[in-house]
Amino acid sequence: MKYSEIDVAVIGSGPAGMAAAIKAKEEGAEHVLIFERQEQLGGLLSQCIHNGFGLLYFGQDLTGPEYGHRFAEKVRDLRIEVMLETMVTQISADRKLTAVNSHEGTIHMQPKSIVLAMGCRERNRGQLSIPGTRPAGIFTAGTAQRLVNIEGFIPGKKVIILGSGDIGMIMARRLTLEGVEVKAVVEILPYVGGLIRNEVQCLHDFHIPLLLEHTVTQIHGEQRVEAVTIAKVDKNKMPIDDYKQHIECDTLLLSVGLIPENELSRMAGVALDPLTGGPVVDQRRETNVSGIFAGGNVVHVHDLVDEVSWEAEIAGTSAARFAGKEEMEKEKKIILKPGRNIRCIVPQTISPQHDVTLYARVKDMEENITLKVGDIFSKSLRVVKPSEMLKIDLTYSQLGQLKDDAVELSIESVKRRQNG
Amino acid sequence: MEQVETEVLIIGGGVLGAAVARELSRYNADVTLVEKEADFGWGSTKANMCIVCQGGDALEFRPEYLRSRLVWESIPLMEPLCQELNVPFKRVGELALIRNNEELIKFHKLKSRAEKIGINSHKFIDQGTLRHMEPNITREAIAALYDPNIAIVDPVRLTIALIENAVQNGVKVMRETEVLGISQEANQFKVETNRGSMKCRFIVNAAGTSVDKIARLVNSDDFVLYPIRGYVGILDKNLGDLIKHEIHMRPDAPGQMNILTPSVHGNLFFGTTMQPARRGNCSTTGRIAEIGFQNVRKIVPDLSEKDMIHSFAGFLMFRNWELGWHECVVQDSRRIPRLINVCIGYPGVSAAPATAREVLDLLRKEGFTLEEKPHFNPIRKSSPIFRELSEREQKELFARNSRYGHVVCRCETVTEGEIVETISQGANTMDGVKFRTRAGMGRCQGGFCTPRVVKILARELGQPEGKITKKGRESRLLLYRSKELIEAKI
Repeated sequence: MKYSEIDVAVIGSGPAGMAAAIKAKEEGAEHVLIFERQEQLGGLLSQCIHNGFGLLYFGQDLTGPEYGHRFAEKVRDLRIEVMLETMVTQISADRKLTAVNSHEGTIHMQPKSIVLAMGCRERNRGQLSIPGTRPAGIFTAGTAQRLVNIEGFIPGKKVIILGSGDIGMIMARRLTLEGVEVKAVVEILPYVGGLIRNEVQCLHDFHIPLLLEHTVTQIHGEQRVEAVTIAKVDKNKMPIDDYKQHIECDTLLLSVGLIPENELSRMAGVALDPLTGGPVVDQRRETNVSGIFAGGNVVHVHDLVDEVSWEAEIAGTSAARFAGKEEMEKEKKIILKPGRNIRCIVPQTISPQHDVTLYARVKDMEENITLKVGDIFSKSLRVVKPSEMLKIDLTYSQLGQLKDDAVELSIESVKRRQNG
Repeated sequence: MEQVETEVLIIGGGVLGAAVARELSRYNADVTLVEKEADFGWGSTKANMCIVCQGGDALEFRPEYLRSRLVWESIPLMEPLCQELNVPFKRVGELALIRNNEELIKFHKLKSRAEKIGINSHKFIDQGTLRHMEPNITREAIAALYDPNIAIVDPVRLTIALIENAVQNGVKVMRETEVLGISQEANQFKVETNRGSMKCRFIVNAAGTSVDKIARLVNSDDFVLYPIRGYVGILDKNLGDLIKHEIHMRPDAPGQMNILTPSVHGNLFFGTTMQPARRGNCSTTGRIAEIGFQNVRKIVPDLSEKDMIHSFAGFLMFRNWELGWHECVVQDSRRIPRLINVCIGYPGVSAAPATAREVLDLLRKEGFTLEEKPHFNPIRKSSPIFRELSEREQKELFARNSRYGHVVCRCETVTEGEIVETISQGANTMDGVKFRTRAGMGRCQGGFCTPRVVKILARELGQPEGKITKKGRESRLLLYRSKELIEAKI
């Protein structure tokens, strides 16, 4: 492989990176290269040994490693270049890329296009300012997942999990199966942060207590976690002093949200959307920096891995076309604006000439609503929740009706007609 | 442990103990330093704003105080010290914001005070110049007092460098060694520790937040100290360019402070409250975090809580409850000969270079003869820091050792080579590796590198992973092997 000949460089080999690379190759890019900082392809899939992957993409219920393996085989069959244990340390706006590994040291190249597929990282205690001491025994759920499933260690015997994100709930079940006493999953909201299927299959089926509208107000212990104080919260999420309890435990896991990992994107001057935490992209998943594309959880955190791969395929296709110097039509851009009860939308801009799928998240749970895109689309839904991404398919004929260069996506409450 | 005999015993491996050890290593003396934690600088040294060359920046430094003199005398000493020890030092300067007439008067007083003691570099800055110097700060500031002396350091790295240089010059150090009792025997002290007993002629008690407790062991507690807890928040490196100077705003409520400063590693630190608290209770509270953010937004209104990556509390030992107006303890014990008690309280890091010299003067007064070593080497070489090297240097390093190509901590770009090197120099815990190399200090706070650093520590120390601790003693990270709990149940 000659570094000077790389058409498409993909950063990350998780469900996004591999899907993007495969698609780029299939679209005709000759030299596609994947960078992966770990020892094998798959990103976080290798530690997700539970099932529930691929139901949409493959129509089969797979584990994380199985899902990753299918893509990895294709990466191999298509002769896509792979650099493992290699950390990309820098990219610039003109796509100069620096990486480092222990085989070659520092590596430089300037691929014709780049796909950002770095995924996301977990929010941690520091960002939440969880009060208390600083003992050993506080881990993010994903770190604990790696320790248990890859390294073969159980962090502790009595565990409290703060936050009910999917990894937290999956770890509640995983640790229970390992003989750990999971004392409670504590969630500040009135509903779980992750998927309902995980609430049922990971918590209820294993009789793990779920404390909704509760939070951890203090961590105790000097050397190792000894206990936490848990309090019920009021409507403003403020702890109520009268409803505090002291729970002994030796470990606190955090599953309190994911943040798209965009340190490299920033270096390249990629504009980020403060609402998603990821790059602002158009429907081809191109960022504001020409030739730099993005797909998967680096753009916005998805609910399902299948959606991650699909989105990255769009980025892979576009990157291959860019590398092939295919003329990009100068298209009219329509900006999507989050309206009432909409937290974020991806892509942030679209072209009216093509069919497009929009992904959006709401701010608050709401029942009996109508989801609207300007005047061109409306759909009634029984319930919307921040934990469940909305998917809206629009056709170019619908988009053709738009007169302005901006359109608002919003949730309207349906006023029920009174009987009599 | 065999009984250790030494001439001078330094109790405490914080910045003051380390500075005294390094100063003593210039002379022919048998010196031993004991530290109760697993590594150096883990008390107040690590939990502060990292600001040095203070003294001209606050009215609390009254001329009649020894504490003020030690702070002032340290101003010209700090930069050359950091150069000799090869640790980062950055002269950022301080801007004390002025929002109204009352503050203007206060700062006029401060400027003339500084001039009286020979600090003539303070300047008033008008609003236009201030905007130019710091475009992102509050529009409420109509002017500022500029103190160009103020600088920033990494206090833990400074402390470790002081210790390393002292060891290089013959000082002995013992970690995880806690002093439990001290008795006087003829012309010497007998010191009981958790690792056996020691004999020494002189004691320098630089035990930080325990300095009064140690003094009490030998009935020399002719001073009273009150613990004051301060709260510090750390913001993401992405904001590194938001401000260039240390910015100080007069707090609007008593018991608060309001400081925002760059750090030598590119993060921003903000300090907010100082309140009396039970000693050693370094826990933070939700309320303080909230006040902290409200305060720092008065300096830079655009800051978001999303940019917080970490927060911590640290202790200062004051001689009275009233904040600020206090004297330090750097004195020979009035009751016990050959015992020196050392505690600055605040700002200990700033005052460390002159305090070390002061302690040597006190030792001389107590009858210790100091004879200069002919071969004292003041230079301590820093081991390579991959992210700070030029590309050519990185290549050379990699050619020598390929582990410098393996990035273990992504957020701070720390390589396996650096971690292995720091373990060979004495780091034996997760926090030890973290404070020495910055692995785990970035925005993901060890989420990615923790399992990897545990493995490297285990491999290099020849111990099972289950024995690796966060910070020594009972702070093991991984309590069980997988299937261990299930098998126990069956």
